[in-house]
Amino acid sequence: MVNLTIDDKQVTAPKDSTIYDAARINGIKIPILCHDKKLKPFGACRMCLVEVEQMKGRQIPACTTPVTEGMIIRTATPEIIKARELVLELLLLNHPLDCPVCDKAGDCDLQNLAYEYKVDTNRFSDLKFQHEIDYNNPLIERDMNRCVLCGKCVRICDEIVGYGALTFIDRGIETKIGCEFEKGLDCEFCGSCISVCPVGSLLARPFKHKARFWALTNHNSVCGYCGTGCNLTLGVKDNKVLTTIYNDEQGFHKGQLCARGRFGYQFISSDKRLTSPMIRRNGRMTEATWDEALDLVASRLKGGNEVAALATARLTNEEFSLFRKMMLESIGSKNFDHSAGYAHSALSKGFVRSFGVSASPASVLDIQKSDLLLVIKTDSYETHPVVGFEINMAVKNRGVKLNILSDKRGKLSKLPGAKTAIHTPGNEVAVLNAICKAILDKKLEDSSAATIPGFAEFSKSLELFTPEKVAAQSGIPAETIIKIATDYASAEKALIIFPIGLAYSGHTESLASAAANLAIITGKLGEEGSGVLCMSEKNNGQGAVDMGFYPQDGGMTAQQILDSCVDGKVKTLFIAGENPLVSYPDSKKVKSALDKVEFLVVSDLFMTETAELADVVLPACSYAEKEGTYTSLDRRVQYVKPAIRKLAQSKSDFEIISQLISKIDGKESGTPAEQFSEICSKTAGYEGMTYSTLGNNGAFATTAIKASLVVPEYTPVVADASKLALVTGSVLYHNGTLSQHGEGPVHVCPEAYLELSREDAARLLINEKDQITVTSESGSLQLIAKVSPRIPKGVVFLPYHFPAAPANKVWSGTAVTMVSIAK
Amino acid sequence: MNPITPIINGMKITLSHMFMKPVTLQYPTERPKVAPRYRGLQALKVSHSKAKCVACYLCPTVCPAKCITVEAGEDANHNKYASVYEIDILRCIFCGYCVEACPVDALKMTGEFELANYKRSDFIYAKETLLEK
Ligand code: SF4
Ligand code: SF4
Ligand code: SF4
Ligand code: SF4
Ligand code: SF4
Ligand code: FES
Repeated sequence: MVNLTIDDKQVTAPKDSTIYDAARINGIKIPILCHDKKLKPFGACRMCLVEVEQMKGRQIPACTTPVTEGMIIRTATPEIIKARELVLELLLLNHPLDCPVCDKAGDCDLQNLAYEYKVDTNRFSDLKFQHEIDYNNPLIERDMNRCVLCGKCVRICDEIVGYGALTFIDRGIETKIGCEFEKGLDCEFCGSCISVCPVGSLLARPFKHKARFWALTNHNSVCGYCGTGCNLTLGVKDNKVLTTIYNDEQGFHKGQLCARGRFGYQFISSDKRLTSPMIRRNGRMTEATWDEALDLVASRLKGGNEVAALATARLTNEEFSLFRKMMLESIGSKNFDHSAGYAHSALSKGFVRSFGVSASPASVLDIQKSDLLLVIKTDSYETHPVVGFEINMAVKNRGVKLNILSDKRGKLSKLPGAKTAIHTPGNEVAVLNAICKAILDKKLEDSSAATIPGFAEFSKSLELFTPEKVAAQSGIPAETIIKIATDYASAEKALIIFPIGLAYSGHTESLASAAANLAIITGKLGEEGSGVLCMSEKNNGQGAVDMGFYPQDGGMTAQQILDSCVDGKVKTLFIAGENPLVSYPDSKKVKSALDKVEFLVVSDLFMTETAELADVVLPACSYAEKEGTYTSLDRRVQYVKPAIRKLAQSKSDFEIISQLISKIDGKESGTPAEQFSEICSKTAGYEGMTYSTLGNNGAFATTAIKASLVVPEYTPVVADASKLALVTGSVLYHNGTLSQHGEGPVHVCPEAYLELSREDAARLLINEKDQITVTSESGSLQLIAKVSPRIPKGVVFLPYHFPAAPANKVWSGTAVTMVSIAK
Repeated sequence: MNPITPIINGMKITLSHMFMKPVTLQYPTERPKVAPRYRGLQALKVSHSKAKCVACYLCPTVCPAKCITVEAGEDANHNKYASVYEIDILRCIFCGYCVEACPVDALKMTGEFELANYKRSDFIYAKETLLEK
């Protein structure tokens, strides 16, 4: 702490703060335009000029000058005010002053400052800029005539997003912000640049002219897409969600969002939403009342284990827990599951046997506190972009080392110093085992390793996984494996990160245990910056596991449920929010299960491909219309409350299920708050939480671990040299199938494609955008080719989100599928 | 005073008025002369055969009666215009704040005061009817 005087007030401030920070902490306002607390000091605009007595009263920028002991600072002398007025006059000289048509008006730093400093005339005269305005981009409109060259967009895209799409181009009075070679913007569309732009140079096109900033009501909420659980603010007008609003105080991520979170909100107020319950009568879907529909459904929810349920990992904790209660107590069936049965097994089986709990012993906050990150699959960035931002910042700003094991390169591989070891698809477990083996061989393990239960068996099982053997099989040279092992073991704090999800059918309990073993034998657990972080795909994937919505005590898994639909053991199937016809592997199997099951109930927001086959469709509502809690991938329990009234006749799944319970056995289910207190009384880690204590920031559920070493299952992939190895996965702009109803994501990534390597493309004479046919044992699929340098030879990548070209036509659930490609 | 005098005085005034020009306006056959600054029905000014309004949303914001509805659109040249501009004249208090707020001088108040109508819906003046004639 240093002592200083600001405007005759004695204050203290941390040693590493700037004058601006010191003033802000002590409640003294210094105007800024180019400074952002998330970014490094830049000093471009000179709005924040202050006088420092020790510097002979010279005017210096507060945002870049560090404080020193005894500094005497004045922030608002008449000279300073004059200087600031001059700065504004000069900025307004070329600024178009088109506030009436500029969407930023009302939320514009320049407008606010001009108002505050009463700059309404100009002593100078000059021409206005005549830069061409980019209207072509579907998401971001760029009008460089309004730009004040603060550089915030450039810096955030580089420092936090790590993309570097924008830069200063040209010099002097011609300087402007643009993309390389003045091309159009083709980036990640995270919208971070829009959120920090102090003026109306960068605007969200989907929201263009929709409403004035001041006409929106802001509602804090939690993003409904991935498991990161980013907090966001919904801008609501006339019961419609019109946009997301940036708030840099929100969440661990300080308001940062990805393309899905920022631009994918349209599904909430979409006019394609289901408006009324529907019942199939004489083969045709007809509208029905809630009573009719629920009576019919309740009459079919009988027969114990003949009833089965599949839910999406997007329900709230309260809904999962009530749904489970209905299945077990009201119906008497143990057959319920979520996420295709395998996409949660890393947590529900892997971590349970390795750590004794079904949750990750680490949090997103550990990323920046670590010394080394071992990321499994570069896809971690695409599946969880805001976690990716944390990785970017850790690597770029804190010098955290980044090692990646992956079957393809990706954005993370481009970070400074990142080392990507590319292995042949499906060999993650073998490589992790080989790393453990190398650590044990070099005696780099933690001193306590040998005392951990299962050590003897585990170390014996590693005989088969010497770096040399695994090198031959995985394609990663033995030296690299050993280097990764020594890096990992010698780092003081190290964190392993891997994603799970429907498209990552290889990321199951065996991968979880293999990763856990590595952390356990090296003792990289249980302290800040170390651990294993398993990232669930959907916004409440962790919650679904915590609530126990998966088969236990002999219940059927999702795949067994589908099989039993075919052979008649399951007669009624209740699907809540899931769209297995598109997202579960093996479309033929899913289709025949859904066709054959006697009675199919689907509750969803939209008439999905699955809902079209149903006997009863119930209109559910989105996260913006209901109350409840979501548990993020690192077990942050967060509370959401309705931002808008429920659309049309839709009901939350909580209401649907509680009404079904009362129809089945006359029991009342209470409110979500009561359900939550029941959850907290019996779920480990949730003790003592209530809606009011969660507030806007949520709270971490604690995770107490008991480590044991488990020999992970490993079946080598049978490669076929004449074929290509197809791996499925997620793309940056989509999450599950929900984002198909978000205009933003669909604008940027409208259709499925097959990504293949340059070598294979050249060999097969395939060009970018060619129409190609992919054929596997399970079927074939028409796709657009995308040739990319990040894919290794012999591998092809297929995203799974798209109903028009569903990956599950060629993918039957194996981690790697052998396919052939023809033009 | 003679009790009859005041009556005679009164009758004199009455009599003199019988020969003066009458002040009663024979509305509707006779039309009033509306003062130039009278605040009657609003009109949207037109320039280059288009409404000048750029849909800045300032008049709906300032309107104390909250009777203006604006929705902005984007035309082929990417210019912002009011795709919807409505005033609910039943709620309007003719304060003129909307005119004062307009940054592009797109709105004025006319002398139009005959606003009676039969149906409530007819009191919602849409953009076409508000355009300056
Ligand atoms: S949208 Fe994101 S990636 Fe694109 S330029 Fe802006 S900050 Fe960079
Ligand atoms: S576009 Fe906006 S954020 Fe970028 S330099 Fe210009 S004013 Fe700053
Ligand atoms: S999709 Fe995931 S990373 Fe993106 S904003 Fe939502 S929660 Fe955050
Ligand atoms: S005159 Fe006053 S009340 Fe009437 S529309 Fe204008 S601002 Fe509103
Ligand atoms: S204030 Fe003027 S420009 Fe703005 S919406 Fe009203 S009439 Fe149109
Ligand atoms: S805010 Fe300090 S120079 Fe811009």
